[in-house]
Amino acid sequence: MKNRLIIIPLIFFLLIILTFFYLLIIERNPSEIPSNLINKEAPYFKAESLFKDKEFISSEHFGNEMILVNFFATWCKPCLDEHEFIKGFSNKKKIKIIGINYKDNPKKTIKWLKKLGNPYSNIPLDKNGRIAIEWGVYGIPETYLINSKGFIKYRHVGPITKKIYKKINLLIDEIK
Amino acid sequence: MTPLLGSFTIWLSLFFCIFQFIITLKNKNIKYLHLCVNGLLISSLISFLLLMYSFIISDFSILNVFQNSHTTKPLFYKITAVWGNHEGSMLLWILVLTLFNFFIFKLIDNKNSSFILKTLLIQSSITIGFILFTIFTSNPFQKIFPTPENGLGFNPILQDPALAIHPPLLYIGYVGFSAAFSMSVATLTFKNHQNILWYSYMKPFVMAAWTFLTIGIALGSIWAYYELGWGGWWFWDPVENASFMPWLIGTALLHSLVIVEKRKSLQAWVLLLSILAFLLSVIGTFLVRSGILTSVHTFALDPSRGIYILAFTALLGGYSLILYGINSKKFFNNNYFNSFSREGSILINNIFMVVVCATVFLGTIYPLIIEALTSNKISVGEPYFNSTVIPIMIPAILIMGIAPLLNWGKEDKLKIFKKIAPTFLSTIGMTIFILIAYKPNSVLGVVGIILAFWIISNNLLILIKKNKNYSKGMIIAHLGIGLLILGITGSSTWQEEKILKMNINNQVQIKKYNIIFEKINEIKGSNYVALQGKFLVYDNNKKFITELRPENRFYPITNIFTTEASINTNLFRDLYMVLGEGNSEKGWVVKIYYNPLVMWIWLGALIIFLGGLISLSNNLKKLQVLSK
Amino acid sequence: MIKNKIIIIVFSLFFTYFFSYYSYSVEPDEILNNKEQETRARNISKNIRCLVCQNQSIDESNAPLAKDLRILIRDKIKSGKKDEEIYNFLRDRYGDFIFLKPTLSQNTFLLWFLPFIFLAIGLIIIFFNNKKSKN
Repeated sequence: MKNRLIIIPLIFFLLIILTFFYLLIIERNPSEIPSNLINKEAPYFKAESLFKDKEFISSEHFGNEMILVNFFATWCKPCLDEHEFIKGFSNKKKIKIIGINYKDNPKKTIKWLKKLGNPYSNIPLDKNGRIAIEWGVYGIPETYLINSKGFIKYRHVGPITKKIYKKINLLIDEIK
Repeated sequence: MTPLLGSFTIWLSLFFCIFQFIITLKNKNIKYLHLCVNGLLISSLISFLLLMYSFIISDFSILNVFQNSHTTKPLFYKITAVWGNHEGSMLLWILVLTLFNFFIFKLIDNKNSSFILKTLLIQSSITIGFILFTIFTSNPFQKIFPTPENGLGFNPILQDPALAIHPPLLYIGYVGFSAAFSMSVATLTFKNHQNILWYSYMKPFVMAAWTFLTIGIALGSIWAYYELGWGGWWFWDPVENASFMPWLIGTALLHSLVIVEKRKSLQAWVLLLSILAFLLSVIGTFLVRSGILTSVHTFALDPSRGIYILAFTALLGGYSLILYGINSKKFFNNNYFNSFSREGSILINNIFMVVVCATVFLGTIYPLIIEALTSNKISVGEPYFNSTVIPIMIPAILIMGIAPLLNWGKEDKLKIFKKIAPTFLSTIGMTIFILIAYKPNSVLGVVGIILAFWIISNNLLILIKKNKNYSKGMIIAHLGIGLLILGITGSSTWQEEKILKMNINNQVQIKKYNIIFEKINEIKGSNYVALQGKFLVYDNNKKFITELRPENRFYPITNIFTTEASINTNLFRDLYMVLGEGNSEKGWVVKIYYNPLVMWIWLGALIIFLGGLISLSNNLKKLQVLSK
Repeated sequence: MIKNKIIIIVFSLFFTYFFSYYSYSVEPDEILNNKEQETRARNISKNIRCLVCQNQSIDESNAPLAKDLRILIRDKIKSGKKDEEIYNFLRDRYGDFIFLKPTLSQNTFLLWFLPFIFLAIGLIIIFFNNKKSKN
């Protein structure tokens, strides 16, 4: 009996080492959280719209076609860095993009978009951050891919990089 | 010049270490061993001092200095920045390893030479591993071209005296267990182990490691309390847990070594514990430096370094545990002892310490295991550890009160009852007094008071009886724990907090203190500018107690904002104040804490440290007798 | 005198501009008037992880997201939601990661029971040892 007992620490030790090894090998970001909304319907919300007089009602837009939702703000530097890619989605991929303006000053947003180009078809204003919370956003920029039935298929936290840009483009083609 | 010399001395220490390995392996040419051990220590000391020198003269041609220093940094913090970063701290690890290597060597005499040689063999293997890791992945003397004008500055939150000296003390703890590990492995492979009092050799090393680990952990908590601004001092953060686990195993080890000495029992258990203590230190190092976890304390590193440390850990642990699996049988004996005896209660302590350690380990790595198995992420935070560790600790502490009063060998239960009757009554008495006078509002608070007074009164009883059979160090350390529990209970149960907006000339009442907001100043420090609020504190009798001056600082070079709490401390309570944002019209956000008995947490830890030092000196005296 | 006042105003604005991006954990204007509700809010907040911090709860954190969540929790308490409903709301959007106290589920069964199983094994060892010593 004692013989068997002695091996127990060794076995536990090896299992733990294997787990750590596995986690080191795969590419993972220890502070990134997977979205809880994948394969769920895009959350419903209403908000003031930036350029249009009419209120933005999400149900009027989701569920008809594939959409990219991008949470952004003028005060957010990574949002500036990824803007080219967002424009790329709009111009080259021809996908409709809804830009949710997070805790921002609308006048500043207008200037920012005038200067850098506006890839968004609609810009609902999330003035107090509640819409972001509905979507499980924790750090902008965040980008969501919604399929034509209105279900969230993919989320990326942080600025879109070349790699992620390619990945999302592939996903868009796959889902179509 | 310096970086070249620095790298050279690291290579030199590797050379001496390999030389020591070969000598101890072949068991010949022992005269050269003296050269190796000293050469190893001196070369690692020189490389450490060279790095320190580079920081002092602000040699920004060295990447490490550039990344972690700045010309405006105060001198004291330039020096302590040496170990405040990953590469520099590896040099400190190596230095302490070579220091303990030296102390192990000092034990050598005619009777124990082959045992000590084996121990030095293992110790040199460990040291080679760390030096190789440093040379190939973490060389602090790496250069940067072209030489920058100035450094990247350093996080001002880390510019604090407690934080500055906490790593060296902590490392003496972690690394000290390496000596116990080496001795354990040496014992397992030693043919005539019955002739060697390996446990007597191990004891001072375990005592030193445990004692310094205690004060190292305490200093980290002191820093957190004074610096982080919300009055907390323990967060069950993975890196804190990484230091707590070796401490728990160290506590168990310390106690069971006593049984091995007295009864020659539990040898196999002690050999396992000494392996686990150091393994946990190394796993802790891995968790902190591999990038596998996020924590306030982690060094920002890449997974490739993590793989190296993991491989080293796997080798170390795999080898020692397999060896244990094969060789430990000869150390078993069938001495069973009654639970109602000194040995029995020490065994019980061991079980509790190991269970708590297993729990902390489980909680710390569980999120990683779940992530590996299911790709889900969960958090295991403070509430988990509080709900599991505290209930398990309570019976352990209750037994800790009685244990020193018990005799070796079986004890008559009636006798035990007679022994503890006075302290039992005094504990109940004190508790009732506190209940009436201070009205605690939580059950846990009452339990804490009972535990604290239970430990304190039992140990005071032993002191009063002046029985020479008791180890002074033990009594003092146990008293320290009683005071620690008193401090922890007081500061959590009776804490009061006030959050409000204050304008100049407003006042606020907290407990018996009246605090008036006098004015707001702009001040300048050596590398920061700050807004400072001046608050005057009076008691109920309008007597002036103190000024509180909380600050909001801005460090222009690193672009960092910090809040500096203003704390007035005495033995009974801390008055702790934090200044928030605001302006002259709308007023300023102010947070005030009344934290009773906090000082006793630190004093308790200090007293434990002193008790450990006393025991350490006694252990060393015994060793001297042994060698004669 | 006036120079000092100007410096203070400049610094206040300066700090307010930057500090308005930071809050100081729970702020006075967040505190609910009803003491019971406020206690509930604090207790819930202490269990919610600040997702942009290193291992802190939203109750302790300075981050803007932490403040938003604290206010959201208070709004829900005021509108009559129970603790469980609030926890479910947060879990639906952020997953189990946001809870500092792991929920009891299939995944966490071992986490919660192993410590006490360890203790039981330990106590069995003591009992076993005690019995053998009597022989």
